[in-house]
Amino acid sequence: MIARFFLGLGLLVLMVVVSFGTFFYLGGRHSKIALAPQKPTAATPRAQAFTLPGTLYLAQNGALYSFSVGRFHQLTGEEGWTQPSLFPDGQYLLAVKRSYLYSDVYVLTRFGAVHRQLTNNTAYGRYADISDRHWSFYPRLNPSESTVFMSYDAPKYGYDVNLSVWGVPYGASMSQGRLWTISKDYTGGDVQALPLNGGGIIYTKYSYGLDGNLTGQLWFSKNPENPRLPGTALTDPDKDCSQPSLSRDGHLLAFICTNKKQFADMYIASWNGSSLGRLYGVIGNQVVAQPAFAPDGSGIAYLAPGAAGQFQLWFLPKNAYDAPAPSPAPVPTPTPGGPYSGALPSPTAAASTAAPVIKPIQITTGNGFDATSPMTWSN
Amino acid sequence: MAGSLAYFLPAAKLAWDATGQVVTVPSPGPSPSPTLDTSPSPSAVAQVPGAFTVLLLGSDDDSKFSSDHVLTQSMILVRVIPSTHSVTMLSIPRDLYVPFWTGGSGKIDGAYSYGQAGGAIATVERDFGVHIDYYIWIGLLGLVKLIDAIGGIDVVTSNPVMDDFYPNDIFSQYPYDYSRVAVLPGPQHLDGLHAMQYVRSRHGDLQSDIGRSKRQQQVLLAIRLKARQVSSADVPAIAKALGGEIKTSIPLDRIVELIPLAATFENPDAINSIVMEPPLFHGNGPDGSLTPNWPAILALVRQYFP
Repeated sequence: MIARFFLGLGLLVLMVVVSFGTFFYLGGRHSKIALAPQKPTAATPRAQAFTLPGTLYLAQNGALYSFSVGRFHQLTGEEGWTQPSLFPDGQYLLAVKRSYLYSDVYVLTRFGAVHRQLTNNTAYGRYADISDRHWSFYPRLNPSESTVFMSYDAPKYGYDVNLSVWGVPYGASMSQGRLWTISKDYTGGDVQALPLNGGGIIYTKYSYGLDGNLTGQLWFSKNPENPRLPGTALTDPDKDCSQPSLSRDGHLLAFICTNKKQFADMYIASWNGSSLGRLYGVIGNQVVAQPAFAPDGSGIAYLAPGAAGQFQLWFLPKNAYDAPAPSPAPVPTPTPGGPYSGALPSPTAAASTAAPVIKPIQITTGNGFDATSPMTWSN
Repeated sequence: MAGSLAYFLPAAKLAWDATGQVVTVPSPGPSPSPTLDTSPSPSAVAQVPGAFTVLLLGSDDDSKFSSDHVLTQSMILVRVIPSTHSVTMLSIPRDLYVPFWTGGSGKIDGAYSYGQAGGAIATVERDFGVHIDYYIWIGLLGLVKLIDAIGGIDVVTSNPVMDDFYPNDIFSQYPYDYSRVAVLPGPQHLDGLHAMQYVRSRHGDLQSDIGRSKRQQQVLLAIRLKARQVSSADVPAIAKALGGEIKTSIPLDRIVELIPLAATFENPDAINSIVMEPPLFHGNGPDGSLTPNWPAILALVRQYFP
């Protein structure tokens, strides 16, 4: 009888232990998809992190970070900061500070301290209407550092709120700015202007295609808005291209095109100051965002999802696109994985008929960079 | 066993509460539309074994409406053919002026308000000549929480979505307030709140509700893609997110059958997304509604839905 009692008690204890054990085991498991992105600085110095040349500036969760010599440094708090761009002389950064109802452009030191505020887009006064506020995005200084180009939501008419590209003398107020582009009605407008050495800008214009769908196109505009000189479309509307980035020597343009699918492929094309050469696809079947040329010309950094879906930093070495093959261009499919820890890949000895395909290198895992924020890169 | 039961209890409760909803079809109204041919349609779609049709309903269940009288801002017919791993989605404009099964006519977004799921199903079945096997209803807040519970979604947004008059009715004390929205263009990771802004804003889109329907389908596909990575560790969070925000007539045992099936739909080209656009309807209907071009609509529907 006593033996049965102890057997029963033992089984009861075992049942309780197993039940609680199972509950806590299951409860202790971590979701692979709902994990908050890790701060870039959380695990630095990363063992054997891949080193990029110079210093790359990028944004995550409202904070700006720099990445140099394989290490991230947090420059600002998580206060809505995004879209950093370096002054051409590399001394300061322009960046956007985004609030709930408006955003403003600031000048920051390279270490993230606020130097000055360039726009004032909030609305004051007791009777200020919500639509009296404005958005400023994608600020960039022209090479002579005299004009800040940005997308700004004016003019706007009731429900028709579009971003247009404005050029504002550095340090002046928006009222002294000049409208550079007239955005198309009810499209969201014109974004991400890239000031050029010879004057003029390359930017992305959104418009309705023949199929009625909205599509992005790269445009070149030599002058401020002028109905007689409306600028030139550089890409076909069916390709849906955006996010241009120019190489340091000014002869190569990288950008993304969706081809109206839920992918964003990276393309490059030569640029002669007024028109694009042939488009070459360099990355396909991946959602690529914000390509940025390395200052030493060694490759292109970009953002794309890692295995868990958040946007990570990737790098495409120059030898993947330096000598574009005749049509069709090779389109390597990236292989997501952990941080690359070896030497730069070189073309493997392949059969003479096969062109060497250089795969992109995934630099980070577990982060969640802001893919709407262009990256900027200093020497 | 008991530990597993305790762990999965919230999910089990959700499954018990939300699934297998009995569809009550309200009594038909006395004056069905005289212009519609309500006889069974000679569908061009062959009856495929295992294929089924689901009516997806999305509602603004914000504080402007009482919970049992919400409109459906989103209405999507989904045809699933397991044998070919293909899916067809057809978005129905919420402002389409249709005869209700319960009687009278109005914008189709009111069908759910007047007759709950049964009213919406009966109206769509009768007006579009389709057979609906199941429905799934999800509230706006549920969509936000679901996307957050799966860690957000990756979307290539089509354009800058700018709206100075975006309804501030979900998290505000003042449900008739406005907010400003700027969803920037291109590839990005969206959390629930920003995904909702992307699919819900319509003032800055020349296509208004049509443009919004396209964005809704895009986000649905992104959720589907992300859902393939869901593991048991995500179940409690998803159950918590969807508590009270989802209802479906799909029985629990059928859902258990469908979950592994969903993972096999890998080819994006096998997903056909259709949004009704003119000349399937034209404007100038009563109360700002859209007047249907029924012959054209029925011809389209019969191509894909039995």
